[in-house]
Amino acid sequence: MTEELPGAWFGFGFCGFGQEPVSGHGRWVLSPEQLRAGGDICHVSASWSYTALVTRGGHVELSGSAKGSADGCRDAWASEGLLVLLRDRSGSRAELQRLELGIEHALLLDAAGQVFSWGGGRHGQLGHGTLEAEPEPRLLEALQGLPMAQLAAGGWHSVCVSETGDIYIWGWNESGQLALPTRSLAEDKRTVTGEALNEDGSEVERVAGAPAHFITIQPFPALLDLPLGSEAVGASCGSRHTAVVTRTGELYTWGWGKYGQLGHKDTTSLDQPCRVEYFVEKQLQVKTVTCGPWNTYVYAVENRNS
Amino acid sequence: MAGGPEGLRDALWDALLALLPPTKEELKLDLGEEVDRGTVLLLQQAAELFLGGRRGECLQASEAVLDHAWEKLNAGPWQDVGKAWRQAYAFGCLLKTLCLCQPPREATAVSAALRVCDMGLLMGAAILGDILIRVAAVLQAHLVSGKRPDRSPGQELPSTKHFQKHFLVPGRPVVLEGVADHWPCMKKWSVDYVREVAGCRTVPVEVGSRYTDKNWSQTLMTVSEFISKYIESEVRDVGYLAQHQLFDQIPELKHDIGVPDYCCLGSGEEEEITINAWFGPAGTVSPLHQDPQQNFLAQVMGRKYIRLYSPQDSEALYPHETHLLHNTSQVDVENPDLEKFPRFAEAPFLSCVLAPGEILFIPVKHWHYVRALDLSFSVSFWWS
Repeated sequence: MTEELPGAWFGFGFCGFGQEPVSGHGRWVLSPEQLRAGGDICHVSASWSYTALVTRGGHVELSGSAKGSADGCRDAWASEGLLVLLRDRSGSRAELQRLELGIEHALLLDAAGQVFSWGGGRHGQLGHGTLEAEPEPRLLEALQGLPMAQLAAGGWHSVCVSETGDIYIWGWNESGQLALPTRSLAEDKRTVTGEALNEDGSEVERVAGAPAHFITIQPFPALLDLPLGSEAVGASCGSRHTAVVTRTGELYTWGWGKYGQLGHKDTTSLDQPCRVEYFVEKQLQVKTVTCGPWNTYVYAVENRNS
Repeated sequence: MAGGPEGLRDALWDALLALLPPTKEELKLDLGEEVDRGTVLLLQQAAELFLGGRRGECLQASEAVLDHAWEKLNAGPWQDVGKAWRQAYAFGCLLKTLCLCQPPREATAVSAALRVCDMGLLMGAAILGDILIRVAAVLQAHLVSGKRPDRSPGQELPSTKHFQKHFLVPGRPVVLEGVADHWPCMKKWSVDYVREVAGCRTVPVEVGSRYTDKNWSQTLMTVSEFISKYIESEVRDVGYLAQHQLFDQIPELKHDIGVPDYCCLGSGEEEEITINAWFGPAGTVSPLHQDPQQNFLAQVMGRKYIRLYSPQDSEALYPHETHLLHNTSQVDVENPDLEKFPRFAEAPFLSCVLAPGEILFIPVKHWHYVRALDLSFSVSFWWS
């Protein structure tokens, strides 16, 4: 049996305004670093220039371009123009499980596991198969009959995880954030596709002019398989990257990587899910992931097998 | 590190510094309320870092501003994007350009800097008295050298009143000869000339046979790259430098064209006339569509086959139902699916082959389909 020890929060990616991880000295961090902030953090919400950290005791601390703190809060949503704090409420039964906001769209997960979307749809982020906007919450018919447990909105993409651990993803793929082949990365010769690797793992030379099937916009939910058939239990999205936690405590990231937000020790963008090796090497079980626009925060516990 | 005589390197840097505002305090931007505090802060920092000679840090800060502003520029339809965000983007481009050009610099620094400048012109809005135009000109002059060769190759002009009465008001298309045929571009322009004047500038290019196709996409490249890839090489994909305000980007080219006098019949100012360049190989196609303004289409190089349908017959043209494409017909004009679009066969139309020196007047909302018969360069004037 695995003994669960108290865990810690880690962060990586953009911290140009001095937000956590503070050791980034106002630039960015390419590999997970433990957050300096004390207290028993249970929620993190990161905007571009600051991060809000919520403790189990209801204390909210801001890190970065915005300073300040508050008490009596259960949750927080941070954006550049607005910080929303959820204060303690007694005994209300939530009808909705989760609300997620992208740059132009909104996603809603209800108690029955149904997903609704509305707002701008120019990049296919609503998942209804068109590029039309929706003025009101509209049920994602493509997912009917598949109860969802987790939901996440990125800048212009959307992710949900079913109760059985399957990942569905749709929207804009311009940086590979949907884990589908994208033209921009192929032109940078950075696509790490299965077919493009030789047996020894070296990259196959791309034949000039060989046509490839690129996807820029995926307007319907697409099923995404993680390597080794891993089941997903959590997901979060930044502006143009995606992070997923598996049942076995691993973290996979992909998409835009310019500020180290993928945590693979470099600034390469990826259009395939890649495991963040840091947590495997340190024998840490990832429990939760929350992405800011250009960074990623992770809660992990030590994994001591008896 | 760039090799070469010290003198040349400094000349470029001196020329760039001379373009900046005279005092440090003026190297800033008043962006108002629309831009978030973090961005304003970062731009201030970036400017200070530049003035303090801390190039690497300035580059990082500018890059972060550019990436953040890029997200704003991609949030919602382009016409709704706030001018302040475009200005912030332009300012980021200015600082990044300067950092790249500061000596000692890489061998590829100046062309990289020009690319950044062009992005600022394409996506940004005018700042500091439209400084990016002047910066681009300095960079371009540094890259390009040599003289341009002269090139010499090979009706009735309606009065303004006559044009208004017989064509503008009733919305009747007409081919005008003798209006543009004396413009300098008719004698001066060739592929070589375009490459000399604009070769190192970055422009948007449409790839794919028409914008209604699945595989159609837009990308950015220099004019030289466009010419060698889509005009001079064994053409596989169709590439089209289409609907681009090239004459705003490269004011020198604007001297080669005129503006039809009839535009004075419109209610707008001359500055509000949108002038677009359309440059591409034979075979480029603009699917049947309509525009919300009056259009003078001037042909400079090559010939175009054009078909026109009246807005009265719009229903027979089966416009797309989506908001995005409601100004575009679903019908492929030269290969119509008459089972799917039966009424199209009965719709009356006008057609012509537009040759160099001629201007086609396309009245507002008049449906038009265009296919290039030769390597072609057209200039369109949208006015109201």
